[in-house]
Amino acid sequence: MTQTFDRRTILKAGLGASAGLMVTGRVNSSLAQSPVRLTMAVWGGKAEVEAYNQVIAKYQAANPNVSIRLDVIPFGQFYQQLDTRLAGRQAPDLFRVTYQQVGRYALGKAAIDLSQFIDSGYSAAFTPSVWSAVNYQDKPYALPHHTDTFALFYNADMLAQAGVTVPTSLDQAWTWERFIQVAKLLKEKSIGSYPFAMSWQNSAVHRWMIYLYQHGGQLLNNDLTAPQINTPAGIETIAWTQSWFKEGLVPPSTSVKSAEPVQNLFANGTVAMMLNGNWQIPFVNQQMTKFKWGVTYLPRDVAMADDLGGTCVAISRDSKNPEVAADFLKFLVNEENMRDYISAAQFLPVRKSLVEGGVQYALRPDEMKVFVEQTKTIPQHLVSTVVLPTWGKFNPKLADELDLAFTSGQSPEQTAQNIEAHVKNILLSS
Amino acid sequence: MADLSMTYPKERSETTTSRKSGWWSSYRSRLTPYLFIAPNLLLFSIFVFFPLLYAAYISVHQWSLIDAPEFNGVQNYTRLLSDGQFWQSLTNTVIYSAATVPTSLILGLFLAIGLNRKLAARTLLRSIYFLPVVVSSVATAVIAAWLFNDNYGIINALLKQAGVGPVAWLSSPRWALPSIILTTLWVRIGFCMVVYLAALQSISPSYYEAAVIDGATRPQQFRFVTWPLLRPTTFLLLILNVIYSFQVFDLIYVMTGGGPGFSTTMIVQYIYQAAFASSEMGYASAMGMVLFVLILLFTLIQWRINRRTEQFV
Repeated sequence: MTQTFDRRTILKAGLGASAGLMVTGRVNSSLAQSPVRLTMAVWGGKAEVEAYNQVIAKYQAANPNVSIRLDVIPFGQFYQQLDTRLAGRQAPDLFRVTYQQVGRYALGKAAIDLSQFIDSGYSAAFTPSVWSAVNYQDKPYALPHHTDTFALFYNADMLAQAGVTVPTSLDQAWTWERFIQVAKLLKEKSIGSYPFAMSWQNSAVHRWMIYLYQHGGQLLNNDLTAPQINTPAGIETIAWTQSWFKEGLVPPSTSVKSAEPVQNLFANGTVAMMLNGNWQIPFVNQQMTKFKWGVTYLPRDVAMADDLGGTCVAISRDSKNPEVAADFLKFLVNEENMRDYISAAQFLPVRKSLVEGGVQYALRPDEMKVFVEQTKTIPQHLVSTVVLPTWGKFNPKLADELDLAFTSGQSPEQTAQNIEAHVKNILLSS
Repeated sequence: MADLSMTYPKERSETTTSRKSGWWSSYRSRLTPYLFIAPNLLLFSIFVFFPLLYAAYISVHQWSLIDAPEFNGVQNYTRLLSDGQFWQSLTNTVIYSAATVPTSLILGLFLAIGLNRKLAARTLLRSIYFLPVVVSSVATAVIAAWLFNDNYGIINALLKQAGVGPVAWLSSPRWALPSIILTTLWVRIGFCMVVYLAALQSISPSYYEAAVIDGATRPQQFRFVTWPLLRPTTFLLLILNVIYSFQVFDLIYVMTGGGPGFSTTMIVQYIYQAAFASSEMGYASAMGMVLFVLILLFTLIQWRINRRTEQFV
């Protein structure tokens, strides 16, 4: 995919960037001596790709000898393609990666240690949870770019028809009981084909852990050395999410191993509520033309909890110009460019200054505030669990076993036992 | 012809130059066939033979693609024996093959016989049946996934009109595999039909004329003329269909992703998951080698049976 810019836009961007960079002294003049070509692999929707291209255009305008090609790969094939290119020693210079995957690339030495390119106080600018997520053995292997999280999208027309009002502050978030009451009410009144759907398809089964933590459970023990899923909290969470399918509260096609795009079901009115991330706002805003909609807080149980989403950017071991790649990477995540990117693509900031100062979103700013508030509920233990280098080996088994529980009637006890056995094996072998 | 071939080397050997030429001629005649097959052999080696050898090498290693392979002996193979999911996917593959191979052969043959006759719009009908074969299998799978979609699929919409359903075609373990099998048949019948049609048209009408003179009825003509003469084609289609069925991937990947549960997880799907979702390239290669041996054994057995039957005939 390519993006073209007219000469005037590039000139303006270049002048603006040059002025800004001269003030902050960020341009390393020695890096711009000879022509350098970089490749950056990403996935993303239209808004994200445009936002990446704008930063690239700014950097190229300030560094005329550097050209950067953006490789846009569908998310479903992204890691497969990246790993294959790494195996063939032909990986892109830079690559986008979720926080859940950084550990794997650090462990396999596929991403390089970035501490050689950053000052000692560099990390202080980022929120602690995401900075810890990009570190492996106390060394950063990627730089945080943005985060995202989950909330409850609702069809305002359908909820009004059912006479339901939604919480307007985090401390008033629905309890699990209230959420299920609302879902059952919608089902009884036949409003929408199904009351709700959850976005945890396409290898995103880690989002199931939102509910596990809300119910007081954990996948691993406190020091991350042993499984802790086969507990009353774990089994009850499996049973609760299984009941969504048993009682017909969610479409059967939305289990964890399906490929059903949940946002389509929400946009066309098949489901009245959708548990999904902030990056869906541009899609819903464009596609949901027949209904009014809004976003409210995730339901809660004994605790509030949400998912650590978002991505960072790493430099591959195959990069022939790691210094230039690092210079671009720091440019990409500087305050100004991070603000531009997240406001254009509807993400959440990971720089403390932007978190504290706030970001002006052009699209649905009120709904974005809900997501910003939800980030306060992400448990640190959940972050530590999903950024383990072995997470990639837990993930498929978690999907297999939960799918069996949701679609094939496997008991919650058996599901918890199977997950526990697998996690124990992986932890022992690693 | 026999005389020429005997005198040619003798005449060429009468001078020194002709001796050289004779040496070259003799080698040239031996080399020529190899030169003809060389491009194909080269491509086969690059894309099939060397990857096969490399897969065998990787199958005795632990490798995540992004780090260096570590030798682990036969551990990957011994692990297969106790991996319930491997046996489940192998069982699913056998069930899928047993449902799709004979059905597509039989229905393809019936269609070919029907469309070999003079019918109105015969060419159009042949094109309609063959169309799914020429369309990309991923496109076919996407179309099928839409048709079978639980929430907005046309099949459930029609069932709703008839007061039935909705049926969870792709999201219930009961219906997911039958939906995949129906989609496979949609594609595979057209392929079998075209191959059988070509074979039917190559049978000389004189055999049928002789059979009619001998008083053979239509079923007898089919049994004693058509079917024996179609045997090589049937053998070819059987082998190809079994290989296709054992290697099915794209339909499953697009339509169900192997779910719900493991109900549509086939062996290649499981290999893909091990390689790219769990990053266990060594284990995936070991499963790949087992699949290779299974298909090879099946082909050899069928080939042996076919040769014996031909000798008997």
